[in-house]
Amino acid sequence: MAKPLAKLFSTPLPLFTAAFLLRAILLIYGLWQDANSPLKYTDIDYLVFTDAARFTFSPTGPASPYARETYRYTPLLAWLLYPTTLPGVFWFSFGKILFAVADLLAGWLIVLVLRRHMGMPMQSALKYASIWLLNPMVATISTRGSSEGLLGVLVMALLYAVLEKRVRTAGVLLGLGVHFKIYPFIYAPAIVWWMDAERMGAEVTRGTPAILRFVTSDRVRLAVYSLATFMGLNVWMYNLYGNEFLQHTFFHHVTRIDHRHNFSPYNVLLYLTSSQPEIATSEFRIESLAFLPQILLSTVLIPLVGGKKDLPATMLTQTFAFVTFNKVCTSQYFLWYMVFLPLYLPNSSPLQKPKLGLSALVLWVATQAAWLQQGYNLEFLGQSTFVPGLLYSSLAFFLVNCWILGLIISDFEKSATL
Amino acid sequence: MRQRITFFHHNEDAIEPSSLVVAGRSFSGPDIKAVREDRFTLGLEELPPELKDLLQVTHELHIRWSSPEGYKSLGPWNSRLSPGLHVFYTPQKDETATVIPSMQLCSLLRRLGVIDCSSPNESFTRLPNDRFSHSTAYQYYQPLEHLQPFLDYAAQYACSPSKTECKSILQSLSLAPLFDFSYDTISHVVKITALWKHGLQPLSLSSHPNHRVEVGLLTPYSPPNLEYYELGATGLLTVLGEDKEPAPTLFTFPSRHKQAGTSFVSQFVSPIGMHPTMRVLVKSSKPPVDDSYCSLHAYLTLPRTIFADKYQLEDPLFLASKNLTALRYTSQPVNLEAPDYVMKVWGSSILLELQPLTEENKPFTAEVPLHLRYKAPQYGGEQTFEVPYPAVFWACAAEEGTKFTNSPFDRVNLGFDGLFGPRTVFWHLDPEPSESNGRLMMKGSVPVLDLSRSASISMVTAAVVLAGFAWVVWKLAAVYFKTGHRAPPPSKETEKKTQ
Repeated sequence: MAKPLAKLFSTPLPLFTAAFLLRAILLIYGLWQDANSPLKYTDIDYLVFTDAARFTFSPTGPASPYARETYRYTPLLAWLLYPTTLPGVFWFSFGKILFAVADLLAGWLIVLVLRRHMGMPMQSALKYASIWLLNPMVATISTRGSSEGLLGVLVMALLYAVLEKRVRTAGVLLGLGVHFKIYPFIYAPAIVWWMDAERMGAEVTRGTPAILRFVTSDRVRLAVYSLATFMGLNVWMYNLYGNEFLQHTFFHHVTRIDHRHNFSPYNVLLYLTSSQPEIATSEFRIESLAFLPQILLSTVLIPLVGGKKDLPATMLTQTFAFVTFNKVCTSQYFLWYMVFLPLYLPNSSPLQKPKLGLSALVLWVATQAAWLQQGYNLEFLGQSTFVPGLLYSSLAFFLVNCWILGLIISDFEKSATL
Repeated sequence: MRQRITFFHHNEDAIEPSSLVVAGRSFSGPDIKAVREDRFTLGLEELPPELKDLLQVTHELHIRWSSPEGYKSLGPWNSRLSPGLHVFYTPQKDETATVIPSMQLCSLLRRLGVIDCSSPNESFTRLPNDRFSHSTAYQYYQPLEHLQPFLDYAAQYACSPSKTECKSILQSLSLAPLFDFSYDTISHVVKITALWKHGLQPLSLSSHPNHRVEVGLLTPYSPPNLEYYELGATGLLTVLGEDKEPAPTLFTFPSRHKQAGTSFVSQFVSPIGMHPTMRVLVKSSKPPVDDSYCSLHAYLTLPRTIFADKYQLEDPLFLASKNLTALRYTSQPVNLEAPDYVMKVWGSSILLELQPLTEENKPFTAEVPLHLRYKAPQYGGEQTFEVPYPAVFWACAAEEGTKFTNSPFDRVNLGFDGLFGPRTVFWHLDPEPSESNGRLMMKGSVPVLDLSRSASISMVTAAVVLAGFAWVVWKLAAVYFKTGHRAPPPSKETEKKTQ
């Protein structure tokens, strides 16, 4: 048992072959299930993307991805999936192949970061990267056709570019990431904070006021490149698709009423208040303040405390806090922080104290399972489980997440410098 | 005003023509076991002012109601709609097609007991105008138990306090399971039709001097050369005040709506949950005619609490597993995400083609997967809802060249007829009330947040979020006060590691 495992991690080829095979098998199994069972392997979102691509490239139709209801993404995604509009099962699966390849690329970038910036020998780097590469949840989500894998590679490439001090590339990737899925904007303050003159090897004249010392050329460059990329893409897409682009890609996420139950601690409260518009004016609404703890933690406090100590762990913590305190939370969002786990775990207390790590994992899974049980009773048995069931299980899950956040934050103390 | 009264009876229930007495403007005879239909034809000037104003800016308006209690059809009145109140509407052509001109329609509908019509623009759905020109522009539906509010309104307008006869006519309408109001600019008249169930009907009728009343006693007639898409009737016709005695008559006409001679039951599969399945049990898979192309359809009228996801109904394997062939039509728009309480539109309608068994004469079930919207929180944690039975029918293509000149008894604009070609014959299946409530409505309940438990939600959520937030901030502060915001100086341990 130990020997084949050791072989798997000795050089990159066996691990990446295994990761590739895992995805290839799932993909082919998915095709089989789709063709033979009324229960589909393919994610509904994938049908949304591919429909949107078909609309975009249809010679007769409306030529906009937003002609597909519930398409809430950048048109870039529909463009990327152009090949899925070609005839045949292979081309239809192109998007899943793309997302799976993105997984592997993200895995490769993880190895690079571990090797080049955390001084890890290849064998250990591959071992940790396998947390992402061989993770069945990650492989399943991509091969079912969910686009989160693309975000994984974008965000990991951003981190790698920053650590390599390739500021312009980092700026472009940051702008692209925010255009793609909004949430990567939280990384901007951490990266800016990390990029001080000392680290970037710039000369600092003694006696310069702090404020001027802060505005380094690298920071300005990052800001210019990321803003130019973000705004450039937005203006371009706006010119092509108009208000629909803004509405569905950005505003929808701000104005949506997410009545359908999800993991967020605010969920039941949002359902209650959205049904009582008359309260809006007369009473204090806590959910309108919900963004405060979320933004404060993920864009100010965590980057400030952790950014200079350990950038990868800081980005993990930011993402974890952002997802935990978000007004909407589904299991696909967990992928956003999972991609950072291989970078955090090596020196982490959950790994050094296996009991602690195991209890964190068990609690994380158990509170989710409790929530899922309540959700099942609501969705399929028609029981009104909103209170106490869903409310308390989502709050318990939230508290477990906060506790895990605390664990990760405590590890900042001993973080190695990068 | 003109009135046409038709009694349609089985051959064996015929009464002796000699027992009928026509005297001046009155007509009487022994009670007859029959279905009775009354049709009133009115000019615009005979209508209440508010209705007249509305119809003057209307191109076409059909208000159709059928009772949730159901009825057995006999005679030429075969077309079926889901029980409840249906409105089909086209505003005057010169109005801009996107805006329904008048709020008057909503206020008229409120007279009928519609509670949910804020403005036609928001509450109605648009029907496709790219298919067949005879469908109206807009559709509206609401479940409606009875017509009492409308009858009260009509009595107030039409009957002076002394006219007890007028009131009793209106009162008898409350027993009619079918009611129809139709207007179009081409005929420029309003036709109001009511149908009473098969049963013993008294034969004692009279008319006022300025009302033309025609009375028909009819029974089915099927000569050997009758085509399958034709209906035949024979019997006696009398125009009160003109005819001295009933005149025998015999006629055949092509009819788009026929009885399929079989029935269906519709119910929710239990447990309903948030994703109910509507199960349609059809008693026989046998098409009504052998030598023409027929397909079995269900036309669902879905109040906005419940909806079908057209994307889910795209996959042929999934459809086949439910004994469905294809989703042929869905009204637009159907919001797939919004909760019930933020929506204004009445709901949606869909047309599904079912996949009957190849072994004919055997019953089969089709299952339609549907979804419920979240509804507003309520004390008790559930809200009940009712969904009407669908209309289930075989659509068969009539021979090339068949012309359906309007049958005097057929209805046009039923929602589904506009989705088929002009040469289609509809063979309607009889809806059989479910055993549980004896009605043509499927009852269910949506789990909602229980208001009696909602008081603490705000406080608890706020407290827990604040506690979680405070914990994370505390942890951050602990790190900050130990090591500041800078990187710790490289220790020996880490130096070793980086080598």
